[in-house]
Amino acid sequence: MTATAPKSMTEVATLQAPFHSDAAIPFPAKQQASSNPLILKLEHACALDETDKAALRALSTTTRKFEADRDLCREGDRPETVHLVVEGLAYRYKILPDGKRQILGLLLPGDFCDLHVAILARRDHSIGTFTPCDVTEIPRTTIVDLITTQPHIAHAFWWATLVDEGIMREWMASMGQRQAAKMVAHLFCELLVRLQAVGRATASSYELRMTQNELADVFGITVVHLNRTLRDLRAEDLIVLKSGRLDIPDVARLKGFCGFNPNYLHFDLRSAEA
Amino acid sequence: MDARDNVEALLMLQPIAVDTGSPNWEGRLFLANGMLIAVLVRLDTPEYEVGTGWFVEAAFGRLFGISAPIFDTLEEATR
Repeated sequence: MTATAPKSMTEVATLQAPFHSDAAIPFPAKQQASSNPLILKLEHACALDETDKAALRALSTTTRKFEADRDLCREGDRPETVHLVVEGLAYRYKILPDGKRQILGLLLPGDFCDLHVAILARRDHSIGTFTPCDVTEIPRTTIVDLITTQPHIAHAFWWATLVDEGIMREWMASMGQRQAAKMVAHLFCELLVRLQAVGRATASSYELRMTQNELADVFGITVVHLNRTLRDLRAEDLIVLKSGRLDIPDVARLKGFCGFNPNYLHFDLRSAEA
Repeated sequence: MDARDNVEALLMLQPIAVDTGSPNWEGRLFLANGMLIAVLVRLDTPEYEVGTGWFVEAAFGRLFGISAPIFDTLEEATR
């Protein structure tokens, strides 16, 4: 049974490939099919056995397709299910009374949109899609069942929640204290590392289908300032951003430029001893 | 908070070059009753997704932190 499972996954991926890919798709189909993004991500939390992986795989078998620029859920909704992004790019946001939008987080393949949100009476922010997304809607009972019966998964889910908080803290530090060029460079480094962890980036590039307006709302700066910042980074040969793709000519240089330290992503497994 | 509150004030636009680190350096100091309240910069290059026009580069006092649109003309900006 374990021998046939990967084969059927490969077949599914091959069948789906023409619908998903465009000519510029960077990943070999084999890499995409090798595992699901949730498992790839949670393997950074702790060792998962076959039972854990089967349970996690089962979570993402039934996906729902959302077009780009759609809301998965809105501020004020009563949360019933937990969303898991399987493919695509989604984001958390808030609209202020004067109409300004702040983007609060980027949700990549393998990211949950708040694991325990169904505890809450109402959502305090909205979640939308930047690109077409495959999303799983997981009932709260399934999450509760998994964390009470499978200790590794409970551990990994807590880890994922802590990582989400770590990312939020780093974004706050960026917005409060980093100058624009370093703040933007820092996010590009973060996305490289996060996307690599789920097999969605090469050693130095990834798909980034965001407009300048959307990027400006991540950083809380005007689109004019964002545009100048991107041009400065380009002029320094730190990034190449073209046709929905970010290429980093020298990753170490970009990381050095913004002082990127990936510690807040917690991708190093904690060893058994203290 | 509204610039319209200043409608009775004496408004002046003074040409100034602004180092924006970009080709768009043509600017105006925007004064109300002799006090600097904003710096406007002319966006001329088509690369901005927002288009061309007068951009509020910086604002002071009651206008501090406003998010103004890009104005087509200086007359619009001073309204």
